[in-house]
Amino acid sequence: MRPEHWWYTIPLRLRSLFRRRQADRELDDELRDHVEQKTAEYVAKGMTPQEARRQALLELRGIEQTKEKCRDTRRVNWLQDLLQDLRYALRMLRKSPAFTTIAVVTLALGIGANTAIFSLVDCLVVRPLPVDHPHQLAYLISSWNGNGSKGISYPDYQEIRKQTVSVFSDLSVIRMFRTDGLSVDGKSRPISVAYATGNFFGQMGIKPALGRFILPSEGGAAGADPVLVLSYSYWKSQFAGDPNIIGKKALANGQPVTIVGVAPAGFHGLISLVDVQGYMPLGMAVSLKDEPADFLVTRDNTSLVVMARLRAGVNLQEAQSALNVVAQRLSEQYHGRITLSARRLSPAGLIVDPRILTFVSFIFLLLATSVLVLACMNIANLFLVRAARRQREMAMRAALGATRSRLIRQLLTESLLLATLGSVAGMILGLNASSAFSSIPLHTTLPIILDFHFDWRVFAYALAAAVLTGVLVGIVPALRTAHGDVSEILHEGERALSAGGYRMRNMLVAAQVGGSLMLLIVAGLFARSLEKVQRADLGFDANHVLNLSVDPHEAGYDESQAREFYRALLDRTRALPGVQSASLAAAVPMGYNDSNAALEIDGYRPPKGQERPVAGCNSVSSQYFETMRIPLLRGRDFSESDGQNSQRVAIVNQAFADRYWHGEDPIGQHFRNFGDLGHPIEVVGVVKDSYEDDIFTKDQPFFFASLTQNFDFRATLQVRTAAAPEAMERELTGLVRSLEPAMPVFDVQTMTTALDTLQGFLIFRFTAALAASLGILGLLLAVVGVYGVISYAANQRTHEIGIRLALGAQPAQVLKMIFRQGFVIVGVGVLGGVLAAAAVAKLIGNLLFGVPPLDPLTYIAASLLLAGIAMLACYIPARRAMRVDPMVALRYE
Amino acid sequence: MSKPSDMVQGTLDMLLLKILALEPMNGFAVSQRLKQVSGDVLQMSDGSLYPALHKLEQEGWITAEWKTSINGRRAKYYSLTRLGRRQLEKETDNWGRLSSAISRVVKLKQA
Repeated sequence: MRPEHWWYTIPLRLRSLFRRRQADRELDDELRDHVEQKTAEYVAKGMTPQEARRQALLELRGIEQTKEKCRDTRRVNWLQDLLQDLRYALRMLRKSPAFTTIAVVTLALGIGANTAIFSLVDCLVVRPLPVDHPHQLAYLISSWNGNGSKGISYPDYQEIRKQTVSVFSDLSVIRMFRTDGLSVDGKSRPISVAYATGNFFGQMGIKPALGRFILPSEGGAAGADPVLVLSYSYWKSQFAGDPNIIGKKALANGQPVTIVGVAPAGFHGLISLVDVQGYMPLGMAVSLKDEPADFLVTRDNTSLVVMARLRAGVNLQEAQSALNVVAQRLSEQYHGRITLSARRLSPAGLIVDPRILTFVSFIFLLLATSVLVLACMNIANLFLVRAARRQREMAMRAALGATRSRLIRQLLTESLLLATLGSVAGMILGLNASSAFSSIPLHTTLPIILDFHFDWRVFAYALAAAVLTGVLVGIVPALRTAHGDVSEILHEGERALSAGGYRMRNMLVAAQVGGSLMLLIVAGLFARSLEKVQRADLGFDANHVLNLSVDPHEAGYDESQAREFYRALLDRTRALPGVQSASLAAAVPMGYNDSNAALEIDGYRPPKGQERPVAGCNSVSSQYFETMRIPLLRGRDFSESDGQNSQRVAIVNQAFADRYWHGEDPIGQHFRNFGDLGHPIEVVGVVKDSYEDDIFTKDQPFFFASLTQNFDFRATLQVRTAAAPEAMERELTGLVRSLEPAMPVFDVQTMTTALDTLQGFLIFRFTAALAASLGILGLLLAVVGVYGVISYAANQRTHEIGIRLALGAQPAQVLKMIFRQGFVIVGVGVLGGVLAAAAVAKLIGNLLFGVPPLDPLTYIAASLLLAGIAMLACYIPARRAMRVDPMVALRYE
Repeated sequence: MSKPSDMVQGTLDMLLLKILALEPMNGFAVSQRLKQVSGDVLQMSDGSLYPALHKLEQEGWITAEWKTSINGRRAKYYSLTRLGRRQLEKETDNWGRLSSAISRVVKLKQA
């Protein structure tokens, strides 16, 4: 239609819609006028007034019919019908508040669970990073002689950058964060800092919220350009968004720096979940203890992450072929086989394997969808029941001329309205649930950001769920109802409902029982896995241990003062009553330690083509193994004699000894740290393997260095107590304060709490809690579903039961009859549920710790629980049916 | 009154537009005029006339206005819009082509 046309027609449509009364009145007037003129004409021709009027009306072929035809030309009927349907639907919902409440609450639970989980998934794996054209970003990975994937050294980065100009518009380096202390105006606080080359921010295509970023000219030289850029959230939370922060002098990790800028809101660095709070030029990383002074020159440090931005129009394959050429050249230089590969940066960011996150997301979306499907089934059931009650009404409407499509439309309007109400309530519920996720305590100094919020994706998801629900729930009852034989229904009433109706509902109930059993079993598996993990033999005993971290560097101590402080702290702590042993460690198990060392081991030659051996390491004081109850298998603990200048010593774990010395006596063997080849380290003891870095790896080579010989400013005091460890919190904090009032004390917590980290139990706790809430929801929905249907079915059969009782059936027989029906339904459901759960459990096998996917205990317990509750839901209506008075039942209707 | 054939039905729009092109008038006058000019050949029941007029109005081809007639009663007067005039030209053209084609065919048969 041409716009010119609309000029005429739109006002007409609007008028028909909003001034319908007036339009109708005018139509009335027009036709009445016609009839009057016509009558006058006939009277003039000689008819009597009555006859004339009759003739005029006849020629109009019924004044009401003509009016209807005129109204039909208005073309807004569908809208009027819709409004009418909506009005009608609202009235129906208001008239049955119990039905409406149950349906809305059920849907709200289903949709709430879904939006909450989707907002989590959205945050983890869907929402793109807030940078310019995120899909153009990739990161580079190197591999040497075909083993392992690593980062890239700085000299290689410079070479790659020069040789890939044709495919990458820019390459930059970001050295992953570590937690440092930042002190401004005499107050210190932890901060996680990433170190980047000056072109990093330009490559990300973001603008500072305040001040400036690191400049492209900065970051290339060791120790130069002491500037710091803060993240927006850190600036807001730690400095209350004070704009005067720009230009402030501060101490970061003990070095003087100037705060020059604030990154834009929403930019948390390149790893989902982790909040990088500050950025410093790459060259500043030289001052870090674990970074050798020559790391910008040496090719041995392959820990740097190289970010690449593809040129517009260049795809990843083209970039890869350019990289292959560079890798070839590098291989010739190094006389080795080096491969370089570019990986696209996923929305999850620089996570080692985003597939795991995607997989977990998928599993939980699947479970959440099952909850929604259960909710839908419940409501579909309610609708079916109601549809049966309303068959008379629908038949009446059909008899009065409503077309089938009109009836279906009306019923669908009702279910969609209900779904909309439910999803609004569900979204509010989901919003609250996801903010509950965000406030899960993580017991860690690593800043985790759970940035759940409702963006358009979550909204679209909820909307889609609502529409789908509305249609699914409404369509079957609507079709059934609109299908009914008018005359039969009008004659027979409610009892005309065919056997097909029962079958349908029984199937729905069986499916519900099955679905919720599946959820219960999965929840049970996760719960058992959490229990196993908490009871697992970690190789150490976390009970009765209190942790407390200090950082003398922050208090302005130099190294010798810090050593003195630690000595005093240990002596005073060990002297406290109730303390069994106390020790210091640079890192605690499952903490964010992640220290690895490349080694040269005497008597061990790596197989040809393989890299140097790498082992995890930690620096600890004497009594560490006693405090953690890690059994010392051979040799001795660290002692006073292992001084700063005496022979370097280490205690290795069993896996270390087995791997490198193959059953030879490890005591007295030597190895060297690759960064410090001048100081051979002598093995003085062997301890049993324990989980150190994370809960996923145990039997890896690991060694403990002496904290005295391998000093770290930041250390954690660990105390084994006789009584509950919490009781000593105040006393120990007080002790630290009495030694140094300005000493920053953080992470005061029991060792068991400290295990709740991302590397530790957190993921198990989180998945178990999530699965458990979904399981409980599923159980609730199943109970409501089973109870509703069985009691309705019993009600429907009141008449029949009355006859049976009147004919002499015993109440027990009636009870058995109704019970048997429930029993069959529940049995079928349980069987289906067990099969479905086995299928899902196979998928989640990797996420479980120490529990087989077909753990019989879980399956049996969940089945018994669900079947028991379902049978109880059958029993109540069955008993009621048994008590029916035959006379009342026969008079029914 | 017989039902007008399909062809006539399709051309009713054109007839109504043509009648209203002469001067604005109300529904009663349209029915009188239709009977009068077609010499009772094209009979249109009043029951079809009003829906037809309303349809033309909804199409935007004619517009209605409430006016007081000569004998003092308020009546709904229809008149052609610019769009309606264009529509009338189009349909007249079509009709001209159609009727000449038909008369050619009919003559052919008689020859």
